[in-house]
Amino acid sequence: MVFNEKIVNPTELRHWEGKIELYWVYTSGSAGDEFFKALKKGKFIAAKCKECGKVYFPPRIYCEYDFSETEYVNISGEGTVRAFTVARLDKDEKPLEKPEIYAIIDLDGTDGCIVHLLNAKPEDVYVGMRVKPVLKAKNKREGRITDILYYKPS
Amino acid sequence: MRVAVVGVGYSGFNANTPDLHWKEIMFEAAVRAYEDAGINPRRDVDSFITCAEDIWEGFAIFDEFVPDQLGAVLKPTCTICGDFLYGLATAYMHITSGLAEVAVVEAHSKASDILTFGEVIKFAMDPIWLRQIGNAHPYYFAALEMAQYINECCITEEQIASVVVKNKNNARLNPSAPYGGKVGIEDVLNSPMVFDPMRKIEIAPRADGAVVFVLANEEIAKKLTDSPVWLKGVGWWSETSNFDTMSFNAMYAAKAAKMAYKMAGITNAAKEVDFAEVDDRFAFKEIQHIEALGLSKRFETATLMVEGYFDRNGELPINVSGGNLGVGNLLEATGGQKALEVVLQLRGEAGKRQLSKAEVGVAQAWRYIPTASGAVAVFGV
Repeated sequence: MVFNEKIVNPTELRHWEGKIELYWVYTSGSAGDEFFKALKKGKFIAAKCKECGKVYFPPRIYCEYDFSETEYVNISGEGTVRAFTVARLDKDEKPLEKPEIYAIIDLDGTDGCIVHLLNAKPEDVYVGMRVKPVLKAKNKREGRITDILYYKPS
Repeated sequence: MRVAVVGVGYSGFNANTPDLHWKEIMFEAAVRAYEDAGINPRRDVDSFITCAEDIWEGFAIFDEFVPDQLGAVLKPTCTICGDFLYGLATAYMHITSGLAEVAVVEAHSKASDILTFGEVIKFAMDPIWLRQIGNAHPYYFAALEMAQYINECCITEEQIASVVVKNKNNARLNPSAPYGGKVGIEDVLNSPMVFDPMRKIEIAPRADGAVVFVLANEEIAKKLTDSPVWLKGVGWWSETSNFDTMSFNAMYAAKAAKMAYKMAGITNAAKEVDFAEVDDRFAFKEIQHIEALGLSKRFETATLMVEGYFDRNGELPINVSGGNLGVGNLLEATGGQKALEVVLQLRGEAGKRQLSKAEVGVAQAWRYIPTASGAVAVFGV
């Protein structure tokens, strides 16, 4: 076959570093828009299935299990830590200047959860810890998930 | 109708492959598979199936880059956007439907070409609810799942470490495993905590390679070989794309296994399966997947792991090849490497790591972070 001889001298190897810039808009959608509009006002909503009563967070317009419609319900945005990790590497696997704590937070009054940052000392965080969201200043909110800066112990 | 694996070929597996274009890696694996099967792809193959995901490749519409390097020009060709095991399921359907008598499945990884692996995974994360949060490597998402899982099942760091020890040492007997090593529990426990409770050594490093299988219906298989390996069952399953409804307990693997076992006529996997190759791209995933495949009970798996039950010479060997921790993260070829190991073992061609009892073997792969999807294949002789 054609591989009787392979390139053994690495200095003869050729490649080029390519990059291509791609841009999108990411549509929040009907349920997302409803949530982010509420978030700008400092409020949280979830979505309750009209069929089975399961309460979804993140909110969405349909129930995954029944494939039926949902209605929006108000929630506090507070919750309980189900799991957490102390992330020490950035996206290039280099050490982060300051480790980030990520948590799965089960939100009160819902069957759902949010994955977000926790602002606490790693040694103080525990499963079952009560936490509440800290939002950006009202005039800085953009209607994005990052309008929640982080969660903190409540 | 039965479907057999009549030829296997692979290229790699290596930490990097700077001398070959990814098409050439595919070509190398394909030539070996056709040689192994004793067929001419231009004449004998009715359907070619490649398994690839554009985000790993660095260009779009992968399927248009395919036919030439497989001998598939001017032939029926399609690409499955998923792991090799999904491709096997597709080939099974092409053959049993009568559309094809002989089908080829390919998957590959040229992971070393990816300069921004973390960004590529981030690209797969929900852009509204998840991708924008924080600055960490998306490995954090697997660590969250691990944290929940080990908490629920009371799994200790020593038990997790024993997965790494087993697989890294198994890999030492696999000449195609670039990440083997004489690793002990202490070595693992000394590896830095990078996403607590996950250590660096528990994350499978990336590797390059390609796997090609030739499959045929029973009639052709019996003409081509005296020792066919039968594809007895395939299954695939997705939980959901949403983190709030994912089980974080590998329900995708349990459901995919159920589907594959039903097809294979397996009612008690723990007794009927001789060995398995499961997705261990994070060490805890191996324990989770063994349970999901019904090869041991929840809450008991980690203890059995430490006791050597899943060792090469144990009751139910898992990842004799070295798994992803020993061979590397092969992206969509992950299930391909696992299926390859199962076939080599069933044929008695696994060299120094050959198992004494290998009649029924299982290969399982997960769609990697941030998914809760995966596939299972059951092979037998």
